[in-house]
Amino acid sequence: MRSIFGKGLTVAPLLLAVALAGCAAEPGKPTQAAKAKPSDFSEWPCMSYTLACGKIPTRKPVTQALVGPLNGDPVRGQALANERSKGNCVACHLLKGAEQPGSKGPDLTAYGTWGRSDAEIYALVYDMRSRNPDTVMPPAGANQILTDQELRDVIAFLQSSK
Amino acid sequence: MAGTHHFSLTRLALATLCAVAVNTQAADAVYREAFPRVAIDPSRGVAGGGDADFGATLQYWQDDQALEKSKPWIGNPEHEWKLNWKFMDLDHTDDMHPGYLALEQGEKLFKFWAKREPAFRTCLGEGKTDFKGLAAGYPKYDPKLKKIMTVESRVEHCAKTALWEDFKQGSPANNQISLYFKSLSTNMPIKVDTSSTEIMDSYRRGEKLFYTKVGQYNFSCASCHTTTGLLGQRFRGQVPTSPFADAAHFPTYRVGLGDIESLQQRFMRCNLQARTKGLPPGDPAYTDLEVFYTVLSNDYPVSVPSAR
Ligand code: HEC
Ligand code: HEC
Repeated sequence: MRSIFGKGLTVAPLLLAVALAGCAAEPGKPTQAAKAKPSDFSEWPCMSYTLACGKIPTRKPVTQALVGPLNGDPVRGQALANERSKGNCVACHLLKGAEQPGSKGPDLTAYGTWGRSDAEIYALVYDMRSRNPDTVMPPAGANQILTDQELRDVIAFLQSSK
Repeated sequence: MAGTHHFSLTRLALATLCAVAVNTQAADAVYREAFPRVAIDPSRGVAGGGDADFGATLQYWQDDQALEKSKPWIGNPEHEWKLNWKFMDLDHTDDMHPGYLALEQGEKLFKFWAKREPAFRTCLGEGKTDFKGLAAGYPKYDPKLKKIMTVESRVEHCAKTALWEDFKQGSPANNQISLYFKSLSTNMPIKVDTSSTEIMDSYRRGEKLFYTKVGQYNFSCASCHTTTGLLGQRFRGQVPTSPFADAAHFPTYRVGLGDIESLQQRFMRCNLQARTKGLPPGDPAYTDLEVFYTVLSNDYPVSVPSAR
């Protein structure tokens, strides 16, 4: 028998794979804070031909208006945007203070200088499909990834990013 | 009595008809979005992995020569994804990784049961006792069972009919025996029969699923595994890679799990990652996806045991 993980060259990728696979094993884990029973996501549309979730309709794109002043907390917003189990915005965006940022979405580290209104951003983050039906960005508001207040916090954080 | 009986049967039949009608209507009416589709020609098999829509990475991993040239990228997060992880397959590592241990386990398990019950062997081989090359033709349509069979569903079926054992798809016993069965086709090009109507119907359903957005994130497989989506992009700590030739190295030893997993178990984990209900291995939707994925591996050699 040859040695397990014997050679330097191949050890590195295997170790890297350990780290990566670790990431992949994470999703589905409920938030630590939430006491609610862990979801198996069956309340969302799924691929099954037979289960009820296979017949749950996808929520249609919406253009959501911001009601009243923003009243968001940028500090909470930063945490929410970074937390995998909440906004997970950092999976695709470069954000201020982000670790392991993603590269698909635009760099938002200075988004506060883009001159977008709170209402505009609210509508985009609530449901990007309102602007681009083919977007990969999850509809954080329409699909209840974030609550109304959490959206306000995240937007306050984005507006404060300069 | 007979009259009443007749009457209620008619009513039952009517009610069933209505239910079916309503159901199909509802199923058709369900609103779903599709990620932008890419034209794939199933007759090209793995060659489609050279297309820009899938990162055009085939050139970096299609054979030993290509892999050898791309080796300097190993460990480099900017470029490593272009290798489609193929440098971790059997021929490309001298290491005795735990995939081999799972394979040994599978061989022992198979030989134990085949000795006890020779029908297990003939069932797995559909009459043939030499398994060399058989796995390269899976998934395939079984006209006797009137079903698309994967290696894993064949193992489950034969364990049930020949051994009265429950080697459920996704169980360690099933994965190990499937790995052993597949290893007897290692290095042989995958040849899913694209001239079969049943296979192509399944392929089309699988292709449709690949683009259908589901789950809380409203992601499709294509959202992550095509270039218009996240392929080649950093998605937190990971970079999604090309779907081409993926089917070749499963069941694979998954280092992070410390165990082997089947292709369909990987589908399940990708579903969960996108906050979508995972389906049990063997589910018809996953079988269609496996057919789609394996056709995208046609002409690429079976590469087990492997580690990822
Ligand atoms: C799966 C990747 C992904 C995730 C996750 C994601 N985004 Fe995006 N985002 C994008 C992409 C891609 C765009 C470019 C717009 C498009 O797709 O049409 C974008 C655009 C944006 C824009 C618009 C910039 C502009 O004004 O044009 C904002 C704001 C934004 N994202 C915020 C967020 C926030 C906040 C979150 C987390 C709640 C988030 N994104 C999560 C991919 C993502
Ligand atoms: C949220 C993004 C995302 C979605 C959605 C997604 N995947 Fe993945 N998938 C990944 C990542 C990241 C990996 C690990 C890196 C790689 O090998 O591509 C991966 C790996 C895989 C692998 C293993 C590749 C290998 O080399 O072993 C398969 C097979 C796969 N995905 C199939 C699917 C299928 C089928 C779907 C739809 C049901 C799907 N994925 C949806 C992100 C995703």
